[in-house]
Amino acid sequence: MDFAVLTQTQIETWHAVAPPNNAGKRMAADTASVIAAFEAVRDRLRFEDEPASFETALRETKETGV
Amino acid sequence: MSDLADLTLVEAADAIRDRAATASDLLEACLARLDAVNPAINAVIWTEREQAREAAAAADRAVASGAPLGRLHGVPLAHKDMYYQAGRPCTCGSAIRRDFVPDHTATVIERLAAQGATCFGGLNMAEFAQNPTGHNRAFGDCHNPWSLPRITGGSSSGSGAAVAAGITYGSLGSDTGGSIRLPASACGVTGIKGTQTRVSRYGVMPLSFSADNVGPLARTARDCARLLGAIAGHDPRDPTSSEEPVADYEATLDGDLRGQRILVPTNVLVPNADAPVLAAFEAALAVLAARGATIIRRPLPLMDAVSAYVAVLSRVESATIHARWMRERAADYAPHLAARIYTGYAIPGVYYVEALSQRGPILKAFAAEVFAQADVIASPTIPTCLPTLADTDIDHGPPGTEHRFMAVSANTRPFNYLGLPAISQPCGFDPNGLPIGLQLAGRPFAEARLLRIADAYQRDTDWHRRTPTAIQESIRAKEMA
Repeated sequence: MDFAVLTQTQIETWHAVAPPNNAGKRMAADTASVIAAFEAVRDRLRFEDEPASFETALRETKETGV
Repeated sequence: MSDLADLTLVEAADAIRDRAATASDLLEACLARLDAVNPAINAVIWTEREQAREAAAAADRAVASGAPLGRLHGVPLAHKDMYYQAGRPCTCGSAIRRDFVPDHTATVIERLAAQGATCFGGLNMAEFAQNPTGHNRAFGDCHNPWSLPRITGGSSSGSGAAVAAGITYGSLGSDTGGSIRLPASACGVTGIKGTQTRVSRYGVMPLSFSADNVGPLARTARDCARLLGAIAGHDPRDPTSSEEPVADYEATLDGDLRGQRILVPTNVLVPNADAPVLAAFEAALAVLAARGATIIRRPLPLMDAVSAYVAVLSRVESATIHARWMRERAADYAPHLAARIYTGYAIPGVYYVEALSQRGPILKAFAAEVFAQADVIASPTIPTCLPTLADTDIDHGPPGTEHRFMAVSANTRPFNYLGLPAISQPCGFDPNGLPIGLQLAGRPFAEARLLRIADAYQRDTDWHRRTPTAIQESIRAKEMA
């Protein structure tokens, strides 16, 4: 199935949201670029086994003096 | 004294405190400027003049009584129209919320009021804070005070335009992908987005739970220091806000840049900038170096991952927030916004969780490498000469316009994913006479350092003191009439 049609069908099925306009159809089809960007970094970054949070990372890397 | 509307925020506060001007004088100066220029730039959506006059009169009585005064006592402000104030309009720049009147007040508005600031109106913005240009179908596009056909930057379009035009001394904007820094750059003012979690978001229209930030736009770094100092800090009503102590930002503004290490990326943000932008940027670096900073040129790590993940977070979160309206009244959004929200539903949950869960590890790896070598990262805020509203109008332009539209925020979005603080300040003009912005980003909670460097730069330059030409013409025309 064409990627654009597949995307619209999935959105309709999962979210009950119809394409609002032609720009929406074009931009949804453009999410192929998101897939490409994820593929480019796939398996390079690993998940941490232990619990972590972004807020903790902010504190751990914070400024300590001016 | 020249036109009171042209004072900086700190000068305005000092004038009230020193009894050189009254709060009422300042408010009337702002309203007169508004009447002169707003028909051209469309920066203001609504005003409550009598309420503001009563507040200014009360501020003047407090001065006369000798009561203790806050650091913003009597200073009239207007904000991006997405900060809730109980009983006052809050359109969020949208037709959908045109008649919305919240029943509670944002913490940041209360904190500004606690320092004595007053509020006289709501400012234009991108619909639901979701475009980088200043287009708005519901209330009309906001126009750049330096050249009316050009974009103001968004989404805090009215904040950038109104501060540049002298309608308000400062303004709260919000920044999810650059929405404070872009209008600051495009309109020739200063704007800072703090570290993610630095400022409370209670009572603020949400766009993206993970990346929304509240911050100020004003004419100088010192003005921003005062405003950020007033609003930053933990808020029990926003459990995501940080408990890190807030520095006295103004106290660090000493002009000394010795020992500051400034990294210029060699792989992203800078190399693809337009030539005039690059020239202004390099000239700005020379000013900083002359004050003692060291310039380091190195690539930034992990930017391909940052680029992949940043494209996901706000899209999915916005799609979630807007789901009911997208199902029931999608036609009430501007076409470009409905289209943009629509794409969020195409992102798989696994991608979203990956983007979210990698955020901390990426920040730690990025910080370990970059901030071992440098204190701040410098780049142009907007890498291109400023486009026109027509060039970036997705709703009426040809297919492909969306790429020009998204290119505006290419240099600002990465710092939202990383959660890092970033500031934009004016550093020159492009060949069309439009401002160019210098962006500086630092490690988490480095707001004081960014403000210090920006303030030092402004001690040696006058880009931030210039008055937009379109404003001068509007004022002259008004006087002639």
